[in-house]
Amino acid sequence: MNDYENAIEIKGVTKKYDGFTLDNISFDIPKGCIMGFIGQNGAGKTTTIRSLLHITDIDSGEIRLLGLDHIKDETAIKKRIAVVFDELPFHDVFNAKDMAKIFEGMYPEWDNDAYMKYIERFQLPQKKKIGQFSKGMKMKLQIACALSHNAELLVMDEATTGLDPVVRDEILHIFMEYLQNGERSILMSSHITSDLEKIADMVTFIDKGKILLTGYKDEIIEQHGILKCGKDKLKEIDNEDIVSIRTNDFGAEVMVTNRENVSYKYREYVIDPASLDDIMLYYVHRDMKEWS
Amino acid sequence: MKLYRSLIYRELKLTRKRCILMLILFLLLSLLMLTPIMLGGFSEPGEESPAEMVLLFVGMVSLTGGFMAGTNNGLQKADINSGWKRYSFVLPPTAKQQAISDLFVKLCYILFFGLLSGTFTLIYTIAADFNAFGIMLNIYLGAVCAVMLIDIAYSYIVMFANDKNQFKVIGVIAFFGAGFVLRVFGLFPGMNKTEKPTEDGALLSEEQLNRLMSVLTSHQTTLCILAVFVVLCVLFFLIMWRSRERREP
Repeated sequence: MNDYENAIEIKGVTKKYDGFTLDNISFDIPKGCIMGFIGQNGAGKTTTIRSLLHITDIDSGEIRLLGLDHIKDETAIKKRIAVVFDELPFHDVFNAKDMAKIFEGMYPEWDNDAYMKYIERFQLPQKKKIGQFSKGMKMKLQIACALSHNAELLVMDEATTGLDPVVRDEILHIFMEYLQNGERSILMSSHITSDLEKIADMVTFIDKGKILLTGYKDEIIEQHGILKCGKDKLKEIDNEDIVSIRTNDFGAEVMVTNRENVSYKYREYVIDPASLDDIMLYYVHRDMKEWS
Repeated sequence: MKLYRSLIYRELKLTRKRCILMLILFLLLSLLMLTPIMLGGFSEPGEESPAEMVLLFVGMVSLTGGFMAGTNNGLQKADINSGWKRYSFVLPPTAKQQAISDLFVKLCYILFFGLLSGTFTLIYTIAADFNAFGIMLNIYLGAVCAVMLIDIAYSYIVMFANDKNQFKVIGVIAFFGAGFVLRVFGLFPGMNKTEKPTEDGALLSEEQLNRLMSVLTSHQTTLCILAVFVVLCVLFFLIMWRSRERREP
């Protein structure tokens, strides 16, 4: 049952809308990994997630979840995955206890004790109607439901957006606990790259429907750097090393790839490490090359 | 079985409020009509005979019950507005299983209001020493079928809405669409004429009333309505199945 290498395999997936195309995207998430899925608004994160969950049909390509075809083996897959959306999709009239009654029949591996433990841990009222919950409480309830049926793959679409840092930190800690046995995987799309820097093993960066970067987070961060120099020195830097250039009154900041080689090549310049935020920002402006 | 229990629990819990409201209205109407029987209002000379009054009461109770049982229970609207419709695509129950549960809940309400209508019919007829159970069944199922047909059309239209905003747009289009259809029907000869009352001012003449009664008491009518009811149930199931299966564009 657990005999698969990659929790998610996406190969050449294309989905066309009016004015937007998810263009031949491919990436894998190995079993036991947390993949951070980043990109600006409208980049194609939600479309990718909806495609892999078969909420929407794809035009071409292949998607495999837990080693199974995402359409042919849909029912088998759904019993083994959990999904957390940015907004709570439960009806306001229900309470936490009602949700347990609803889900226990749907998931063969639903664990009521685990669910009640999460409810207690999150300090959620059991009998209060969901409509009276705060945003943080709603998200916690959704996460409690997602983690209580022994899902092997957790897919989250902007799940931590809009939550305060304390709640976010608590939730990230729970995800880390959830992954401890190495059999479970997480795909987490988020704008908040600081969260992903904390917990993600891998990162995939999507922009305008195309995958720009995918790989292990530490390698991506190591490969990139910000070279600082004067504007007049920019012509000394090879174009192939540059992602894009940010200029200001004091000089220029150049996002470079292959940081180690570049640091040998341009010994006279300082190359600072880049954060995921920086990488995202410079890649988004790659077409303009120079921006401020 | 556990799966269906979960699905049905969710649907019944969601539609409970609406059901209670309808139940209150139904009971108010039924009890109101019980008052003259309890007070012995048929015995006065010059009043309508008990059989005619009881028939009127049975007809009204059956029509109301049938309307309430067959009408849309608001589940699709609630699922679209809350985001559950989209969420249901990532849950293990298949579209077919969900459609079976939709049909089961519908049948539960039909049975519930049917039993209530039957009970009140029994009370009315016992008081008047008159049997109108067959009439009640025909009127009740007929009303259920008529309202269910509208519900099926509504469910088909609502199927195309994926979220709250789309639901609003589709609702407005459907409203004006229905108005347009009625307007077009009104253009056909005979469809826009008001009913001519009979000479004595009654809506139906005695001959027409007798004909209606013979239709309502006929076993053939019951069989025909039952057959239509079964077809509509199948149609309802198919529409719900398609609705649960349909992916977002």
